[in-house]
Amino acid sequence: MTELAEGGARPLIEKTGSRRPTGLLLVAVPVLLMAWLIIWPIFNAFARTVWRPDADGDYGFNLSSYVFFFSDQYSINNLTITLWTTGMCALLLLVICLPIAIYLRFSHGRLPAYVQALAIFPMFVPSIILAYAFIRVLGPNGMVDILLNSVGLPKIRTPYLTPWGPVIGLVWDNIPLTVLILLAGLGSVSNQAIEAARDVGARRLQVFWYIILPRISNSVLVAISFAVLGIFSSFTLPYLLGPASPEMMGPFMNRTFREVNDPLNAITQAVITFCFCIAFGLFYVRSVARNQGK
Amino acid sequence: MKRRTFMMSAAGAAAGMAILPRMSFAAEGVIDWYTSSDSNILDFWTNIVKPAFEAAHPGVTINLVDAGDGAGIIAISERAMAAKQTNTDPQADFFESADPLLPAGAIEAGIFVNIKEAGLSNYSKLNPAGIQSDYSLPYRGSQVLLAYDTTKLDPADAPKSWDDLVTWIKANPGQFVYNRPDKGGSGGNFVRRAIHQANGLDPSMFTVDNYTQEFGDETLGKAWELLKDIAPSLYDNGAYSSGNTQSIQLLSQGVVTMVPVWSDQVLQAIDQGVLPDTTGLVQLQDLALVGGFTRSVVLETGTNRDAALQLADFMLSEEIQSAILTELGGFPGVSWDHIDPELRERFADIVPQSIPTFPGGAWEAAINDGWYRNVAPNVDRNS
Repeated sequence: MTELAEGGARPLIEKTGSRRPTGLLLVAVPVLLMAWLIIWPIFNAFARTVWRPDADGDYGFNLSSYVFFFSDQYSINNLTITLWTTGMCALLLLVICLPIAIYLRFSHGRLPAYVQALAIFPMFVPSIILAYAFIRVLGPNGMVDILLNSVGLPKIRTPYLTPWGPVIGLVWDNIPLTVLILLAGLGSVSNQAIEAARDVGARRLQVFWYIILPRISNSVLVAISFAVLGIFSSFTLPYLLGPASPEMMGPFMNRTFREVNDPLNAITQAVITFCFCIAFGLFYVRSVARNQGK
Repeated sequence: MKRRTFMMSAAGAAAGMAILPRMSFAAEGVIDWYTSSDSNILDFWTNIVKPAFEAAHPGVTINLVDAGDGAGIIAISERAMAAKQTNTDPQADFFESADPLLPAGAIEAGIFVNIKEAGLSNYSKLNPAGIQSDYSLPYRGSQVLLAYDTTKLDPADAPKSWDDLVTWIKANPGQFVYNRPDKGGSGGNFVRRAIHQANGLDPSMFTVDNYTQEFGDETLGKAWELLKDIAPSLYDNGAYSSGNTQSIQLLSQGVVTMVPVWSDQVLQAIDQGVLPDTTGLVQLQDLALVGGFTRSVVLETGTNRDAALQLADFMLSEEIQSAILTELGGFPGVSWDHIDPELRERFADIVPQSIPTFPGGAWEAAINDGWYRNVAPNVDRNS
């Protein structure tokens, strides 16, 4: 702690070569907590699915639960729908959030403030409320149907209880985070660069493609990996809005564990889900590392 | 600046650690009560049972906690089993609805009170049909029946047998929906009724310990065929709602004409205006839809074991048993002789002559898994 007393006189940005352990101490608590609550259970889960007793009670290496998962068409369908939902959500998020973020970055005044508030609003709505609101609005004979009916139009084909239900819910739920990250990324695009490009005759699309996009590609990657990580293992929205089958991995794992009383296969599903998430996570880590290296 | 930040985070971390592992102990005189039932049951306890019991037993209060679902109760039982090994307090006294057979070995571990031997003054009043184990108390019952919209279906034409029902479903595609069997008892017991239908309408074929893979595949397989047969005629070409409430919601929005419902839930929904007065109720006459008793369990190792037993006895009193009929729309756990004759007369319609039941245990897991694998996916929804 004596080091700390000297610390007060140090310049704001560390220039000396000597590193103090203060930083490490600060991160120690969260890191230990993560090791205890997340990393240890992962290894534990993985070990319990591959090293377990056989019929005679002898412990040994056993991959049969993984073989079952990948040879079981039902499980494969669930994995496929999860990947489809995740991919579709990522795509829709980009298509929806990029224009919003660019609009917010380059416009001034009161209207953008309202747009921003509206874009952040879903962050404050719990997903269970969202699910029931969704059913009342987009569900069968919901508000949209009533409005359409009042002007003599046919009803919509409701996305409730179809794979599109969770997609719509999850996209809405993830808009705030994606917009915020993209907006932060757009901060690094300088007005001068765009003005310079305009001066030499670049059109809007060219400005976006050659000036803005290269600058924010990193943010896009970060935003998408954040959204994808959450969506891949989401539970509430697919459970309430999605079809009974195929189901996403979140409800599938939960059901296998609780309703089918089959912890082994539930843990296997969890490990497989984790492996996909770690792949997305590596994208994120790599892009952050590349950014820091610059 | 840096030092202050460090001090602040260190103080924060220290405070966090101080709060984190704090032990809590169950209080004497506060019965820790858990339920896995729907919110209408919790409301019933909050508004009726709790005030009445606390008024009759000064100094004792009930702490009502929603454990979520059956698996939530099992998790608390497992905790109680672990606590018993170290002689610690399980922080639970009373389960409103539980199966003493789950988790396996709980009775042998001695965490549940043998209610038959516990000397409850009202135990002899229990309806013998409800008693499944000496360790549980069947204090209320409810049954699944069919609720329908009388503006679309004339009560005279309402189906009275399974075959009529299937004919009606096929003649009116998209007008019937039941929920996924593991997500709520109304759909779950509709599926169990299909199992009875496929196996000669004999509920006694299925007992809590006669499940084998072979017998299960054979009997359940036939039921999956029946359910697959009606699947294309269900709402949205074979969609299944995700719970009892969602089925009622679809009925109330006029999306479907008929859904299976719990008797208590639908009577309350009509009472509260969630469903209109034009909602009709019908029970199949060839064999009723499966119903069941809700059984309470008292924890042997709980701090308030004796108070919890008083509560169990109180639940069988005439006051509460009548309230189950009048306030909850369920039916009583005690035999009908112990019910006020006036009430007996008034509720003659919803009181079933017989209540077919279906065992839990291994059957439940087999049904939950089998339905998802065989019935749910077998429809081309886009066709």
